[in-house]
Amino acid sequence: MPLPVSAPRPEPRPKRSSTPLQPVVSPKRFPGAAPVSATELWIGVHLSEPAEQALSRQQLERLAVRAQRFTPRVSLVPPDGLVLEVKGSLHLFNGVEGLSRALVSECTTLGLKPMVALAPTPLAALVAARSGKPGSPMGQPGRPMGQPGGPMGQPFVVTELTRLVGQLMPLSLVVLRWPEEVLERLARMGVRTIGQVLRLPRAGFARRFGTEALTTLDRLTGRGPDLRERFRARERFRCRRELTYELENHTAILGELAPLLAELGKFLEARQCGVTKLECLLRHRHAEPTRCVLRLATPVADVRRLTELLGERLSALALPEPVRGCELRSGPLELRVLASNSVWQPGEHGGAAGAEAPELIERLRARLGPEAVYGLRVLPGHRPENAWGIAEPAAGHLPGAVTRRAMPGGRSTPGGRSFARPLWLLPAPRLLRERDGLPRRRGPLLLHGEPERLETGWWDGGDIARDYYTATDLHGVRLWIFREREVPHRWFLHGVFGGGGCGGEGRRPAPNAGHGIGGAPLCGAALRNELYFPARRLTPSGARRASHCARLYSPGHHR
Amino acid sequence: MSAADLELARLLEHPAIWRGRSAARAEVLPTGLAALDACLPGGGWPRSGLIEILVPRFGVGESYLLLPALAAATRSPAARWSVWIAPPLEPYAPALAAHGVMLERVLVVRAPEPLWAFEQTLGSGASDIALAWTAGRSPRAREIRRLQLAAERGRTLGVLFRPKSAARESSAAILRLAVEPRSSGARVSFLKSRGGARGSVDLTWGRR
Repeated sequence: MPLPVSAPRPEPRPKRSSTPLQPVVSPKRFPGAAPVSATELWIGVHLSEPAEQALSRQQLERLAVRAQRFTPRVSLVPPDGLVLEVKGSLHLFNGVEGLSRALVSECTTLGLKPMVALAPTPLAALVAARSGKPGSPMGQPGRPMGQPGGPMGQPFVVTELTRLVGQLMPLSLVVLRWPEEVLERLARMGVRTIGQVLRLPRAGFARRFGTEALTTLDRLTGRGPDLRERFRARERFRCRRELTYELENHTAILGELAPLLAELGKFLEARQCGVTKLECLLRHRHAEPTRCVLRLATPVADVRRLTELLGERLSALALPEPVRGCELRSGPLELRVLASNSVWQPGEHGGAAGAEAPELIERLRARLGPEAVYGLRVLPGHRPENAWGIAEPAAGHLPGAVTRRAMPGGRSTPGGRSFARPLWLLPAPRLLRERDGLPRRRGPLLLHGEPERLETGWWDGGDIARDYYTATDLHGVRLWIFREREVPHRWFLHGVFGGGGCGGEGRRPAPNAGHGIGGAPLCGAALRNELYFPARRLTPSGARRASHCARLYSPGHHR
Repeated sequence: MSAADLELARLLEHPAIWRGRSAARAEVLPTGLAALDACLPGGGWPRSGLIEILVPRFGVGESYLLLPALAAATRSPAARWSVWIAPPLEPYAPALAAHGVMLERVLVVRAPEPLWAFEQTLGSGASDIALAWTAGRSPRAREIRRLQLAAERGRTLGVLFRPKSAARESSAAILRLAVEPRSSGARVSFLKSRGGARGSVDLTWGRR
């Protein structure tokens, strides 16, 4: 096998004919390798963590904001790195030395200890910065970098791509931050430095350690492209207005907010951004400022819409005192996705709703509160109360992206019969009155079909043991009722089917379905197809049925 | 068909000729119930406009009338919202899904003032169907008129459920139906129907 198992040999080239990782003269010699312009120069900044606390993302971002004075191309490398492309700005800051001195002083103002290095590729600069020791000249804050291309122990400054690999060779592999087990395996093979790993054959290396590791090496040496997302400073809008008079009227307050909103609109427009959160502070003479927070489903930059929503919100607000000043604060800006308008109006010739869809939700929520508007979803579970849940309306839902999902509406029994579920569910089961062990609701109820037994949920304390029946009341409304299996066998109303009577549906139960519904007198009768007590106020057919059932049931009742 | 009849039919196709029944040339949404489709103007629920369904009490089958249309509307590629405003009980998601309604397109609104939310929904153009229940107060005739205009503006089918006692009041809704339960279905009577049938039709629900 091509990989050396013992300590690396002094001869850099393996005997195999496979291409070595290291570009020998220039990356262009290798077919397929993306040429990286050596016209880029990157400064890598590695921040050694202060011992007391870990470096926060905020600190890194603050440094990135300051570093943007040197170049617009600043990228974060969380958790503790930063790379800057400085080729174009070197001459403005008195060369490498001047620039690095200024950068280091920026870091020290923030209380950070940086180590910096300069290289033609961002990863190489970062890796070199990481390998710098705090004791070495380039690691000490405030100390200038030395001459380019100095030996180890000197600052790492490489300005030519051709000389990069030679300078990277002695660096330890640890700075690449590969997974621990990869480093361990390499160490077992005697590979401990970047130079050694670059000598391994490409194909074998990729097979053993994955193409990702190989890509990292290509980026390091400038053989492959290294695209980095540019850091953008977070911006917020904040504008305040003091009034020379006091206002109580909501419409007048909204009028005073209009210039602030107009300014916000221009601010957002210039940045092609929108806000999803807008806070309005109303200041009073004595009382605490009143806060009014607007939350939006999608980034919005439309002033008219914001004004409308803010007006809705303000009208619902109770002010403790007249308003003396107002302030608008935006949440973080978010990039707006611009969509083209449809030729058709929504609903016309099957036109879909565009921007109106989230707008409707926002308008309703602004007035009724955020919890008043919700979507529905099906949850897995047999307990009727737990089989559904509310969901956040899919605001950004693209029309046509609806995926068909097979949802079981009724539970199927092994026999293949599925039990219907009602269209309407009561928020909580309602106790039904009883007479002679039979449920009543504004009159007697007519039970249909066989019961569906639900007995589940023992594992989380919400256990149920119920027999569900379909019943029809005197008005022809189909109800979903259940009877507890435990004593005292109470009856509850749990749902409304929403469809009329089902006398003709005729689900015939098994004649002997006596599977232990406790409760003595009901037992036989409830499992018969239909029960109807008493035989008052009935249609002729109902009366016939009732008398029939009464005969079946017991002679003593309601003859 | 004789030649004269054909000629007459061709003549009547002329767009300048308006007949009583041709008011129903608007786009419709099939109800999914063939017997009902046959009686409705245009052969289905109107795509835009307000309809009223009068019921003796909640749950006699009025929602089954609309379920097939709801399922079709939510499944169409350009589906908009189907909004349920102030329903008296919780719409039960598993049953809706079993009837083929895409829950992703369903929106439930709890509003102490359902008419305001109903008008906003109808006029926004963001919904295909909006169902509303008026909890206590019965809407006045001019409010119905306002809702009807909003529904036409937003190209939305608005369905207002009202108690049966409202049948005596006049209404600007383009379609008024009364629903009564029958043994295995419902009887739908047409109180007002522009260019549609009069009388009533008995419907039978499929086994669900």
